[in-house]
Amino acid sequence: MKTTFDACHIPHLSGGPPGPPATLVWETIEISDDASVRYPVWPSDAAEGLLESLCEAGERLAYVPVFELVEGIGRVADRFLDWSDPIRREAIDFLIPTAGVSKEMASEILTGMARDWTAERITELLRRELGDPGVLDGFRRLDAGRTVRARGPLLSLHVGAGTVPGVSVTSMIRALLVKSAVLLKPGLGDVVLPVLFAKALAEEVSALSDAVAVTYWPGGSSPLESLALQRAEVVIGYGGNEAITSLRVRTPVSARFIAYHHRLSVGLVGRERLTAELAPRVARSVALAVSMFDQRGCVSPHAIYVEEGGEVAPGEWAALLASAMAEVEAEIPGGRLTTSEASAVHQMRGSAELREASGSGVRVFRSNQGFWTVILEDEMRFVPSCLNRVVSVIPTPDLGVVAASLGGIRLHLQTVAVEAAEDRQQMLAEKLSAAGATRVTSFEMAPWPPPWWHHDGASVLAGLIRWIDLETTDPGS
Amino acid sequence: MSHAFSSLARDLGRAFQESTGEPWPDEVFELWARRIFAYQVETNPVYAAFAGKRGVTPSTLEHWTEIPWVPASAFKALPLVSGDASRAQRVFRTSGTTASGRRGEHHVLDLDLYRDSLIPNMRRYLYSSGAGGDEPADRRPDSGLSSDSGLSRDSGLSSDSGLSKDGPGRPILALTPDPADAPESSLSFMLGVALEELSGGEGGFFITRDGVIDTRGLDEALMEATACGTPILLAGTAFAFVHWLDELTERGRRFDLPPGSLIMETGGFKGRSRTLERPEFYASLSEAHGIPLDAIVNEYGMTEMLSQFYDAPVAATSGLALEARRHVPPPWVRTRVLDPVTLSPLPLGEPGLLCHVDLANAGSVLTILTEDLGFAVEDGFRVLGRAQGAELRGCSLAIDDLLSGGLS
Repeated sequence: MKTTFDACHIPHLSGGPPGPPATLVWETIEISDDASVRYPVWPSDAAEGLLESLCEAGERLAYVPVFELVEGIGRVADRFLDWSDPIRREAIDFLIPTAGVSKEMASEILTGMARDWTAERITELLRRELGDPGVLDGFRRLDAGRTVRARGPLLSLHVGAGTVPGVSVTSMIRALLVKSAVLLKPGLGDVVLPVLFAKALAEEVSALSDAVAVTYWPGGSSPLESLALQRAEVVIGYGGNEAITSLRVRTPVSARFIAYHHRLSVGLVGRERLTAELAPRVARSVALAVSMFDQRGCVSPHAIYVEEGGEVAPGEWAALLASAMAEVEAEIPGGRLTTSEASAVHQMRGSAELREASGSGVRVFRSNQGFWTVILEDEMRFVPSCLNRVVSVIPTPDLGVVAASLGGIRLHLQTVAVEAAEDRQQMLAEKLSAAGATRVTSFEMAPWPPPWWHHDGASVLAGLIRWIDLETTDPGS
Repeated sequence: MSHAFSSLARDLGRAFQESTGEPWPDEVFELWARRIFAYQVETNPVYAAFAGKRGVTPSTLEHWTEIPWVPASAFKALPLVSGDASRAQRVFRTSGTTASGRRGEHHVLDLDLYRDSLIPNMRRYLYSSGAGGDEPADRRPDSGLSSDSGLSRDSGLSSDSGLSKDGPGRPILALTPDPADAPESSLSFMLGVALEELSGGEGGFFITRDGVIDTRGLDEALMEATACGTPILLAGTAFAFVHWLDELTERGRRFDLPPGSLIMETGGFKGRSRTLERPEFYASLSEAHGIPLDAIVNEYGMTEMLSQFYDAPVAATSGLALEARRHVPPPWVRTRVLDPVTLSPLPLGEPGLLCHVDLANAGSVLTILTEDLGFAVEDGFRVLGRAQGAELRGCSLAIDDLLSGGLS
């Protein structure tokens, strides 16, 4: 049965009935044999109306206490985590065909993402970033002679990448926490969660009912995009070089521009974890980190550097990793691949198998039905994966030398998952930080950075707010 | 060149030369494919091990479709030579770079075999005419096949197609570097051979050693052809043509090439020029050179394959719209369209990955899985584009971005 998803949630526009204006024409994009996405086309006048309405909502939002927002967002997150709530089932049913993931993966992603949208977690985010979240509600004394307050933008424009489902909801929540109205254009592969989340927010939190609009349009094509770029005080873009560059050049100097361009991640396994007992467990956690999001996340490792000299040699461990990849494939099957993605896997696998046949030390372990592939390399050289559960195992004499070999990806490196003795982690992190990494973590945590992580090296709320200093003559000074 | 290869290459070359252009019967193709596969397994231990792992050996092979494919990108990973690599007469290299920083290499053991593959094919599509052409009688395609068979190629070059005045020696003006300056370019080599053997040495190369268009030289050559009424073949890469068109637009210049002139474009834009949709590109080429759309031919080829495909005659035959043109394999190539996920063959009309079995690749590997998308039609295939160029999903880094982001 063919699924059609309407990639649009529009708040009640001032002066009109709920939902998008009835005059809008809808277009349909076929995204696979079994799914299509519909979206409204915004002519300039309707776009102006929407933006005006959102800015007005942004003004009202400034008066809503931050903890009221936190509780409301948290209630919606709880619904997405509740197996008995129809919204969770609806989300999973639509995620499968639109995001091209298996049912099991849709469920894993939804749970993993929504866990970090709960009141507890986002309160923690506010505390860690702002100290006293009350600065969003009014002036608070910071230190002698200085009282401060923080305000978010009236309107923020979010352009999603397309991609790992839920990422744009996280972006939306960050903006709502600082009381910004949100216009979100999700990527085509991530339309479901932001639309459903915005709908649920409108139901649960009256203060947010008119402050969030989610509507898809093909990037660069809509008058809504150019008008929104003029009205938004902060523009947040996720995506490839071309998409980010295009947004950056069109964002006025008076607005802030926050870019999350494409990143990649790798993993490190130390010899002390390669005992006969631990090695299979390590393989399991690595397989989960690689397979989560079908490796399409910026946090997904492309290559695992494995130290020689342990009880289990890198070559033997590659075989353990292959078994673990097969296990994970059985538990959380891989999703549907586009033609390009499938082609890329065939090319990468076939080339590796020829290198294997050439008598080098390369070995290839692969699924016959699915796409998971483990390539044991014979030289220490990073080559990006074609994604979709294709990972290389790179033997290394010493984990300490890996960082220096990553020079070519310095500007793109994000997460490095490390499985090594605790007393080595600090030293490795030191070197990896110099090599460009912005996050050093475990394989278990790699797919799920906490809400307060320094996303690509920066605080996530800091870029959204402006501080207002009230300078006073302190009687004590 | 080993003795085994030289005799194989000689026999193959003769078969190519003697071919009428009609598809070879299945059993003929099968025999050749088996002989070449057996030779490759015998002389190329890497490929033999690769095929062995798939359980395919010459003795177990039941049909040529079972011959294991290698991915086109493997030419970037290691030399794929069936025979003595140290005897390679030439190494052609692909133009693009990859994330691995390596270019594809095709080690060619016998340039004569390459010539024997490219010349009859090019002659058939770019140098023959229904009115008599330049082909010796013994090589002329079987005119007994009626034009409604869908397979007759030459009858398509009818007098109203704009190709009628072609004749022996249509000079080649190449928008590529001279082969002497670009010994690694298979396209330069190809046009160099064509210039010697098809145009009687008339024409020249109009991209300098530094990679810029010799606009003055090309300008003069085109004016001269126009003044003399000599139909020409203007051939080059799509991106070079875009730069040439930009140059002409800037100078407000256009040509009225003599009737019978052809343009052959190939290779896509590869990020080296603006990208144009094909209708717009062809309209611009047609307008700037004063030739009909039917006189513009796409050549589909790759460094990794010694045979090429042209899409001209069918369009000329039936006046098909651009998007309905098809590429027709020469008789010694069979192209299959495979399901992108399962790699099982697809029926006519269903899009998938193109997989070519090119007998001219006797000295390397004959079956190649490309990253090109297309679908099969009755007598060939239509190319839809490149699977690789499409955007990968996910916020993980796309390889193209990594490259454009400056990975060294």
